[in-house]
Amino acid sequence: MNATAVIASEFTRVVKFFWQELKPRGKWLTPFNVISIPVIVVGLIILYFRFVYGLGSVTNLSQEFPWGLWIGFDVVTGVAFAGGSYVITFVVYVMRIEKYHSIVRVTVLNGLLAYIFYAGALVLDLGRPWHIINPIIGNSFGYNSVLFLVSWHFLLYMIAMAVEFSPVVAEWAQLERVRKFLSGLTLAAVIFGITLSILHQSGLGALFLMAKPKIHPLWYSEFIPILFFVSSVYAGLSMIIFEGTISHRVFRNLIGGHDHHRYEEIVLGLAKGAAITMFVYYFFQALIFIHEERWQLITDFWGYWYLVEVLGFVLVPCFMFAYAVRNRSLGLVKVASVMALLGIILNRLNVSVIAFRWYAVNKYYPSWEEIVVTLMVVFTEIWVFRWIVTRMPVFSKA
Amino acid sequence: MDRRLFLKTAATAGAALPIRNTVAASTKETREFVGVLVDTTRCIGCRSCEVACSVANGNFVPDVNSDNALEKIRDTSDKQWTVVNRFKTGKGDVFVKRQCMHCWQPACVAACLVNAMYKTREGPVTWNGDKCMGCRFCMVSCPFDIPKAEYHSWNPRIMKCSMCYERLQAGKKPACVDACPTDTLMFGSKRELMEVARHRVYSHPDKYVHQIYGEHEAGGSGWLYLSSVAFDQIGFRTDLGTTPYPEYTKQFLVSVPLILFGVPALLLGLSELADRKNEVHEDKDKGWTTPGADQ
Amino acid sequence: MEFYTYVNIFETKGLEYLLLLSFLALFILLVRYLSAPKGKRRVPEGKPPRTTN
Repeated sequence: MNATAVIASEFTRVVKFFWQELKPRGKWLTPFNVISIPVIVVGLIILYFRFVYGLGSVTNLSQEFPWGLWIGFDVVTGVAFAGGSYVITFVVYVMRIEKYHSIVRVTVLNGLLAYIFYAGALVLDLGRPWHIINPIIGNSFGYNSVLFLVSWHFLLYMIAMAVEFSPVVAEWAQLERVRKFLSGLTLAAVIFGITLSILHQSGLGALFLMAKPKIHPLWYSEFIPILFFVSSVYAGLSMIIFEGTISHRVFRNLIGGHDHHRYEEIVLGLAKGAAITMFVYYFFQALIFIHEERWQLITDFWGYWYLVEVLGFVLVPCFMFAYAVRNRSLGLVKVASVMALLGIILNRLNVSVIAFRWYAVNKYYPSWEEIVVTLMVVFTEIWVFRWIVTRMPVFSKA
Repeated sequence: MDRRLFLKTAATAGAALPIRNTVAASTKETREFVGVLVDTTRCIGCRSCEVACSVANGNFVPDVNSDNALEKIRDTSDKQWTVVNRFKTGKGDVFVKRQCMHCWQPACVAACLVNAMYKTREGPVTWNGDKCMGCRFCMVSCPFDIPKAEYHSWNPRIMKCSMCYERLQAGKKPACVDACPTDTLMFGSKRELMEVARHRVYSHPDKYVHQIYGEHEAGGSGWLYLSSVAFDQIGFRTDLGTTPYPEYTKQFLVSVPLILFGVPALLLGLSELADRKNEVHEDKDKGWTTPGADQ
Repeated sequence: MEFYTYVNIFETKGLEYLLLLSFLALFILLVRYLSAPKGKRRVPEGKPPRTTN
């Protein structure tokens, strides 16, 4: 009886606590809010039309281009950007390199939110989203589909990342015993999460294996899954650097008192990892280039475009990373990370949209509605991210 | 358990196994896939098949007499599952009917994560709206670009020829075959159709190009085409290869369980190897390193 | 139309191995470049890092 009373009082405490935390904090009229709130409102109106009148009412999708910006950017690129989460948990929990422990929480949070919002954007693109439970509840398992695998892995990986992040939530809600229990699950979740990541990062590439006659031969190869996996490593590392730069500026009061030298060491370490991965990735591309005798294809527009991607946005940022590490230049690391991220966007969009049906007369261009909804997804994610980091112990507790 | 009884059971089970297997093998072969042979040299472009298809399947019925649709090359759409196109070639006008090829190993079926696209035992590839989630991966995967989505509906369907599966089950032929006035379309099992097609090519070697489109393309399909001119001149892709499209994802899908078995064990092992809990003491004794200094 | 001709799927193997050797050589250079002698890399004590935010 005493126990129930304790639970009841604890419960009311937690409810009151949540209610307090839900209230907004800080100034309202920040530049970010001024831009993002109208975008989110317009995005919601667009989504109303999308769900009432169909995809065709707001998107430029066609019978020739069944997948557009919402898949090519939100899902395929967004998931690659979220790769940092599995790379960092590998380094910290499997390799046990403590140097990067202080960025684990924020990276996992970023990864979790990226999956919820970007993989969640998949639902907006589905024609019949209410059937999304079909491959999960088991009345129709399409084992033979790569997408079946990818969707299951999205789901399981989100759970794994939620488990990895849950100790922070428990700490915030001041549930010490729950936190201890959840902390005990971390290594298992990490190992499971890395395995799932290897498979679905490459699986996103494998989605395009059957589109062989439709993707320009410079971007199609049987090794797309491997290329997608390797590039997700440096995409994730670059995203951590990029995101860390912004966080350090915006949430300075939360991170405050941080040892700058240590932060610098972390960034340079990540840059080193990115440089090596990009170097390997570049040679994978070169190997495939030779294996498929692609030199015949290099002399037209698509050949130049391919060189822009592989030389300009892989090899160049790779050398920039290396030079920056050697000369301890954080500024150059940031430039290199932005270029590497642009290279990832370029690569993923080339495979899924730009070089997809390169021969088509009516090419696909995203409509303004598609762009607004994409921005809405990004902005909403930032809102949630900001809400969490200003309340939960994400940055502190190094 | 009694030892003798055990041996007896084992022997019976062992004896039963091969019998079951041969039974399975023989039943497998009795159900052959069906298809349609399209002899484009016979087609006059009357488009009766378009009308019959749309009537049978409740789609948009074109006004064949006055819509001048043959003036331009059309694709099948979410409103019409089959269209006839006119190609101006060196051997005059050639009319070609276009619809789902009903592949032997369809890419759309391998792509579908909910089994909404389904290869029936009789051969037609059908679509089930109760399962489909509208991801359009089938459209991305199909080498012939056949599945079409209804973009302007809140509840879009994936539209494609079903080879009139319901009519086949009732013992009838596909609607287009029944409607064809010139015997351009011939319905039957692929084995029979291949024999007929080869016979026509051999008996008129100058009339036909010596290729039966659909025999090997993308692993072979239920619909077969004969032509008097090269197939790339009448709207067919000749660069699709002969590999069944699901084969392209086979390597990846086979490696999935391997990675799911192997990698967690590998990671756990790595994690144990990298564990420095016990190292700290040793280093302290030796007195020349502190944990983490080497990073 | 079928053509019965010889196809060598390993035509580029020699080039691939050459690429591999050059990769290994360059990779060693890159790694050595990235982990240059510590004396050169260290920022002098007390001097603030070049870029901060």
